[in-house]
Amino acid sequence: MSEVTDPVAEIRDLRVEIDGHAIVDGVRLRVLPGKVTALVGASGSGKTTTGLALLDEYPPGARVTGEVRRTGDGPVGYVPQHPAAVLNPARRVSALLDDLARPQVRHLPRAERRKAARALVLRALSDAQLPDSEDLLRRYPHQLSGGQQQRVVLAQALLLGARVIVADEPTTGQDALTKSRVVAQLAAVAARGIAIVLLSHDLDVVRALADEVLVMRAGRVVESGPAKRLWTAPRHEWTRRLLDQQRAAVKDGRHPKAGQPVLEVRNLTAVHDRRTTALHAPRLALHPGECLAVVGRSGSGKTTLARCLAGLHRDHDGEILLDGTPLPRSLRHRSRAQLAAVQYVFQDARAAFDEHRPVLHQVARTAVRLRGIDEREATAEASTTLTGLGLPAELAHRLPGELSGGELQRAALARALLARPRVLICDEVTSGLDTVTRRGILDVLAGLVGEGEKELSLVLITHDLDTARLAHRIAVLDAGELVEQGPVRRVLTDPRHPFTVSLMETTERLEAGTRT
Amino acid sequence: MSGLRSFVARRLLLGVAQTIAVVLLVFALTEALPGDAAVALAGDQPDPARIAAIREAMDLDRPAYERLADWAFGLLHGDFGTSLTSGRPVTQYIVDGFGPTLLLATLTLALLVPLGFGLGVLAARHEGRLVDRLVSSVTLAVYAVPEFALGVLLVLVLALKLAWLPPTALGYGTDLLAHPAALVLPVLVLLSRPVCSLSRLVRAGMVDALASPYAAHARRYGVPGARVRYAHALPNALAPAVQQLARTVDWLLCGVIVVEALFVIPGLGTVLLNAVAERDVPVVQGLAVVFGVLAVVLNLGADLVAHRLTPRAGVAA
Repeated sequence: MSEVTDPVAEIRDLRVEIDGHAIVDGVRLRVLPGKVTALVGASGSGKTTTGLALLDEYPPGARVTGEVRRTGDGPVGYVPQHPAAVLNPARRVSALLDDLARPQVRHLPRAERRKAARALVLRALSDAQLPDSEDLLRRYPHQLSGGQQQRVVLAQALLLGARVIVADEPTTGQDALTKSRVVAQLAAVAARGIAIVLLSHDLDVVRALADEVLVMRAGRVVESGPAKRLWTAPRHEWTRRLLDQQRAAVKDGRHPKAGQPVLEVRNLTAVHDRRTTALHAPRLALHPGECLAVVGRSGSGKTTLARCLAGLHRDHDGEILLDGTPLPRSLRHRSRAQLAAVQYVFQDARAAFDEHRPVLHQVARTAVRLRGIDEREATAEASTTLTGLGLPAELAHRLPGELSGGELQRAALARALLARPRVLICDEVTSGLDTVTRRGILDVLAGLVGEGEKELSLVLITHDLDTARLAHRIAVLDAGELVEQGPVRRVLTDPRHPFTVSLMETTERLEAGTRT
Repeated sequence: MSGLRSFVARRLLLGVAQTIAVVLLVFALTEALPGDAAVALAGDQPDPARIAAIREAMDLDRPAYERLADWAFGLLHGDFGTSLTSGRPVTQYIVDGFGPTLLLATLTLALLVPLGFGLGVLAARHEGRLVDRLVSSVTLAVYAVPEFALGVLLVLVLALKLAWLPPTALGYGTDLLAHPAALVLPVLVLLSRPVCSLSRLVRAGMVDALASPYAAHARRYGVPGARVRYAHALPNALAPAVQQLARTVDWLLCGVIVVEALFVIPGLGTVLLNAVAERDVPVVQGLAVVFGVLAVVLNLGADLVAHRLTPRAGVAA
């Protein structure tokens, strides 16, 4: 490979707008031959839109400005997140491959074409690490494993002679073994001088592969640079957060602590049926911009605590203070501003939406009800917020029944955010979602903490320590007692209460079990 | 492949059972009809003694199950029995009637397939635009008109008013090929509704297939549009259309009574109609067997094609 490297593709000041809202803004990207350029960021951060821009593909109805330049006439290959989707279910694997090979053998005499085309196909397959795949060509896509499907799609790009290959989340939802194989495979492709644009939020893979990394957030590149530098010395707060989260390492003690807590619980004792004590929490504070995880098994009183905070459970003693003023116990007695300040997102997003009205209307309604702004403004704001959380406008106009669980959960978050809350209570919002979607929601949540001028605070109710790592502080509940609370690093590395210790051990055993 | 073979074997066995059930049902229903061949034959002189005599001569006085057993035994040797009214072999009836029916069906099918698929693909290609709306609304409108109404209308306009075509095939016997003009109207009527249902099914499938990620992927990699449409998208749109096509062929081969009666074509439908009127049980049963076997074979064929088109679905038993 020569030292002088001209980019094979370049994006300058790309801006993609849908309904006046930018989903990608001011993105610059240079794709160098034989190098792996990674775009990392949460779902909805504009990675895929940027990646597809290299293929000249944009979401429907998008307004595009800026420049996408491809030097040389080599086409751009694409390996989507779900390779099965681009493989024709009714045709054998060979169908598209043959179609791609045919124009390349047109100069040969007619009699030799078929054989030459087949040879090209087989070579592309073996380049994509599918050697001796003559009989694989006769199979249908559903008869291949997920890994084989991905390699077939990669082979299509190689057969096409692509100089640039865009790989969208190639390792998402894969086990560790598969991941390392995909990494080897992409590294082999890059070694052939082909540029790879890796779109991923799987930072292990990015670290193993990438030469250049661009960190995206809300459609903008917040930081870019060589992978090594980015890892050792991230400059942007968002990058640090992203790296933290990935490492499953925990936040440093730099969580905001100063000043008055936004929400404070004093001597809270909640009862069920007027008799049974469900929860006892002597003191719990939440500071602006802080994320507090409330961890415990089911029945430990986590949800009761959350419901007390939101005014949904009125049978309790003690005080809940918002900015130092006590909150009425019941929702009914809280003012609009107080209602707006504490918002609740439920575990079952599907049950939390009216199935007969479009999601967008229901999301916008919060702003109309709690902030008194007019319908049009509210709808526009809802649309912006939804897009920001990775829910395209096109989906927002649909009925809840037509959205996936993950999408609905984003909509539920957006609906709560339209109240411009001080505190967002998320009650097991990621349980019941698959790991990929869960990761996406967690990315969204991580992006929300400290957002806005009021510095949004999060209360994360969860039974999952992995989710809890997102937080600054952890409060552990067991059988209705607040047994331990402290900074996340301290609780996770040096748990003091026996219950926390046992919780940690179980989780570690589970993780070890799944990784081997 | 062995899974497929056992599927075919199971389906054929099931088909035999279905055909037997159809035959039994038809026999029972013909028995249940008031009167019998003897009454029909006695015609204008319903003298009880005469009817009894005819009955005895035709063995109609024997119990029903004996007659059925006799007939079934003959069937096993390929003998469909003889007509009660004319004494001619039933096979002769079927062969005679099958000629015109097969001719009509073949002609209709030869036009139906390119027309139905062509219109469907055309509409899907222009989804939501003028061509699509035109095709969709015309097919819907035509589909809403029953065969006999369309037939009467066409005869009225094209045959009686304009005198371009003969109104019926009356007098041409079974050799219809010698009079192609007589075939135009029946084929048009037979074609009208199947074209509509088929093209609408193909359109729906094609709209989905053309919007699919695999079609987008093929286009992205520079595969020409026509090839994407016909080689990549169409196979995914065919499965429901093929099933519909099998039903249509079945419908055509079993004699479309309305059309045959309207245009006086001596096909299977006419044979069946006459046989029922005359209580000619062996002929009715013979036709029931033929229709049953046709339905089983055609649907099995359609299932096999559909299986090939949707390899992922596996075979549904």
